[in-house]
Amino acid sequence: MRTVLFLAIASPALAEPVIPTFTDETVTAGFSTTYEGDWEYMVGGGVATFDCSGDGFPEVFLSGGAAPSALYLNRSTQGGALAFEKTDAVTLDAVLGAYPLDIDSDGVLDLVILRLGENRLLKGLGDCKFQDATADWGFDGGDAWSTAFAAIWEKGQTWPTLAIGNYVDRKEEAFPWGSCTDNWLHRPDGQHFAPPIPLTPSFCALSLLFTDWNNSGQPALRVSNDREYYKGGQEQMWHLEPGQPPRLYTEKDDGWKRLRIWGMGIAAADITRDGYQDYFLTSMADNKLQILKDPASGKPDFADLAFRSGITAHRPYTGGDLRPSTAWHPQFADVNNDGWLDLFIAKGNVAKMPDFAAADPNNLLLGQADGTFVEAGDRAGVASMGIARGAQVVDLNLDGMLDVVVVNRWTPAEVWRQSGDNPGAWVQVRLQQDGANRDAIGSIIEIRRGKDVERHEIASGGGHVSGSVGWLHFGLGASETADLRVIWPDGTAGDWLTLPARSFHVLDRQAGPKAWSAN
Amino acid sequence: MNFRRRDVLGFTIAAPVALSLSPAFAADRAEISREVLLTWHKLILELVRHTATYVPPVAARAFAYCGITAHEALAAGNSKLVSLAGQVTDLLPLPARTEGAFDEPCVLHAALQATVAELFFNTGPTGQRAMEAMGRKLGETASAGIDSAVVERSVTYGKTVAEHILAWSRADGGAVVENMGFPMDYTPGTRPQDWVPTNLIRLQQAPLLPGWANCRPFAVPSALASDPGPHPDYDEAPESVFRGFAQEVYDTGRSLTDEQKLIARFWSDDPMLTFTPAGHWIAIVLQIAERDALPVEVISSTLAKLGVAQADAFISCWATKYMYNLLRPVTYIKRHIDPAWEPLLITPPFPEYTSGHSTQSGAASTVLTSVFGEGFAFDDETHVDEGLPMRSFPSFAAAAEEAAISRLYGGIHFRFGNEKGLEQGRAVGAYAAALRTEA
Repeated sequence: MRTVLFLAIASPALAEPVIPTFTDETVTAGFSTTYEGDWEYMVGGGVATFDCSGDGFPEVFLSGGAAPSALYLNRSTQGGALAFEKTDAVTLDAVLGAYPLDIDSDGVLDLVILRLGENRLLKGLGDCKFQDATADWGFDGGDAWSTAFAAIWEKGQTWPTLAIGNYVDRKEEAFPWGSCTDNWLHRPDGQHFAPPIPLTPSFCALSLLFTDWNNSGQPALRVSNDREYYKGGQEQMWHLEPGQPPRLYTEKDDGWKRLRIWGMGIAAADITRDGYQDYFLTSMADNKLQILKDPASGKPDFADLAFRSGITAHRPYTGGDLRPSTAWHPQFADVNNDGWLDLFIAKGNVAKMPDFAAADPNNLLLGQADGTFVEAGDRAGVASMGIARGAQVVDLNLDGMLDVVVVNRWTPAEVWRQSGDNPGAWVQVRLQQDGANRDAIGSIIEIRRGKDVERHEIASGGGHVSGSVGWLHFGLGASETADLRVIWPDGTAGDWLTLPARSFHVLDRQAGPKAWSAN
Repeated sequence: MNFRRRDVLGFTIAAPVALSLSPAFAADRAEISREVLLTWHKLILELVRHTATYVPPVAARAFAYCGITAHEALAAGNSKLVSLAGQVTDLLPLPARTEGAFDEPCVLHAALQATVAELFFNTGPTGQRAMEAMGRKLGETASAGIDSAVVERSVTYGKTVAEHILAWSRADGGAVVENMGFPMDYTPGTRPQDWVPTNLIRLQQAPLLPGWANCRPFAVPSALASDPGPHPDYDEAPESVFRGFAQEVYDTGRSLTDEQKLIARFWSDDPMLTFTPAGHWIAIVLQIAERDALPVEVISSTLAKLGVAQADAFISCWATKYMYNLLRPVTYIKRHIDPAWEPLLITPPFPEYTSGHSTQSGAASTVLTSVFGEGFAFDDETHVDEGLPMRSFPSFAAAAEEAAISRLYGGIHFRFGNEKGLEQGRAVGAYAAALRTEA
């Protein structure tokens, strides 16, 4: 296998990557939710994908803004056309986004709902039924404009710590600038949540992510902030040590470097295969790809390699509108199963800003062996000109080829099934452990790529108010096996496993790996 | 402090006949006009910060038109004020008022509302929402207790003033800014001293607004009328004069004191993150206006002249920049001194010579000195909200000099670019200072 992968890496770097083919199945799949609303809904518009029916196929939750949200049950068959059944199981108003999370570790996924107004925690009851547990779990839902989320189980805790990002004080009319409201950190107190800790200063977060940026075993909280509204703000990162108050990384104490962007989404992945997470930050016009300059220095000093990697995605690449782009949800995934991570970016104007592209296609940037990316959104069929916000790149019909679901502002959400003959191999795994944190949020999956090891953080958070829990997909290119191991949230490294290509496995920490089949 | 109070306190509102029933009433109306003017300008500062095309030259242009609009709106109802028509380039006399009474706050508010709406038509949804809220709230304040016919007549006239100014503005060559000010195509120079991009932002691989010098100036006779002449001869030789200037930027950057860092950041005034350099000086005037309770006519005429000075400064400076097309210190230093060197500030994406901030600060200080006098001390809290402490200055000239040297501390300009910029700005500012706003 190593030989195969090495040969793949050593193959001509500039050969055209495999262009995946997508089919728009929005109508036939039964999607009919639109993210509606005016000023208060110019951000948000998230997607959550997770299996609440127990059949292994991910359901889709779509936020509706001023319109009702909706949960769509996945009725697809493996490898078949996408089919969903719209339910009223989670029909809420004022929803900006959602993340699945098994908060009480009962083996049934719950939902964190971000809203304009009080946020809600919905306890999963099984069979895609939910019950509002906000009060029962002592969770203060606040009354803010909540626009970002991340979760982690801190060491020694049986319940997660939830970080909620909040935006502008929506009651400010004439002078809203500088009115960013505090982000909140909800730490557990036994089997419920303690009163939230304000993460002051806060600068209008649109994405949060717990990430172990320096492989120290102690994740930090990255915050991507919208410079449109803050004063004195910048991108942020917080120390979050168990039992200690959160502490901001500073230039003086930590070597933090000031960056001020219209931060809208964070995607993390080890695209350089150096064992450290790289971060793609969406913004308006140029986007950023941050690579840690010198891990040995211990300083969070990142170089921006977006230009060099061909990944600035600063203006539309098709459609003729040459004004700068507006980027929202970013997500790394190996869409064409060639073994190299690709990047999907949901794009769309804030509203009708004339200086930015009105026809702003989503990006599908295909990764290559030389570290550069090739735009293929139009050729792949996902270059929608809808005003996109949140998204998920996820295998909806469990055929090993990733599909895409996107929430649009003012027009219906879209879903594309990957439908072409994709020659690349893949493997999908799902993590599971007994006790707290059943889905092992905070784990690392290491996968060997020839002589390199690619390191994947399993996180709850990031993107633009969109998240997923479920099958973790890895493209394998020409390899017929995957060599991987799990480093569990407490730092314990599992054994290296060799899994056959084109298979699903549940990696149970206690019981070991077990093949899974949809039948 | 050499504040000429006679110039300030000598102003009382020249009341429209039907509304000047008592001195107290006139004073109330003047106070409301003052609130209208100051509040709109506070919003304008925010709109400049939050509108994607409002890079410094564009911002300066908007400040000029807003200031002139306010001055002309007031001058039409005040015989002690003099219109700028015929003084600034191509501005024709404003339409006369019709018969009947006018309310000055309503005229001023309507004029500013219409002007701001057009100049910032492209701001985002939050700016649009703020403009709408400001228009509604200040409109209610201005019109409260005023006869509806007077309000209607005044609002109509205010809009007439705005349209006159806006029609004039649309022909100045600066009304349309595309691609956030960066040309889609750019052919770089081929000489070793030519400017090259200094960052890895795709949009900024071409320089900002290379054609801005073609904009119609307000008070200077031409864009190059105040050109300070060439920079020192470009040279890469180790003992050359030019290399010495680069070495100074390098050495300064490596030994910055905390105070120097603070100065660099205080005057950094980055577009999209602050009010821009021109907005910084507007903010200074607004602070002085609040502190000294300046009458509305003084504030408006000062804003008009300051706006003219800064707009002309950028036109002049941009003419110089693209005539010489000189590289930035970071380019020279990385090529010839230290490839790993980085300046404290982000290097702006356009040629070095002359320094834009220095030029417009020289112009601003010249105008403000002409209004308030030499040795006029003031405190500047422009960036307190951003976490930068207040700074105090003994004079406008001292502030301008600090603004200029800040660019050396920031590592983004050579000393000669700053000094010649100040010189250029002072010459530009003299034209604006000579504008007559009082009878």
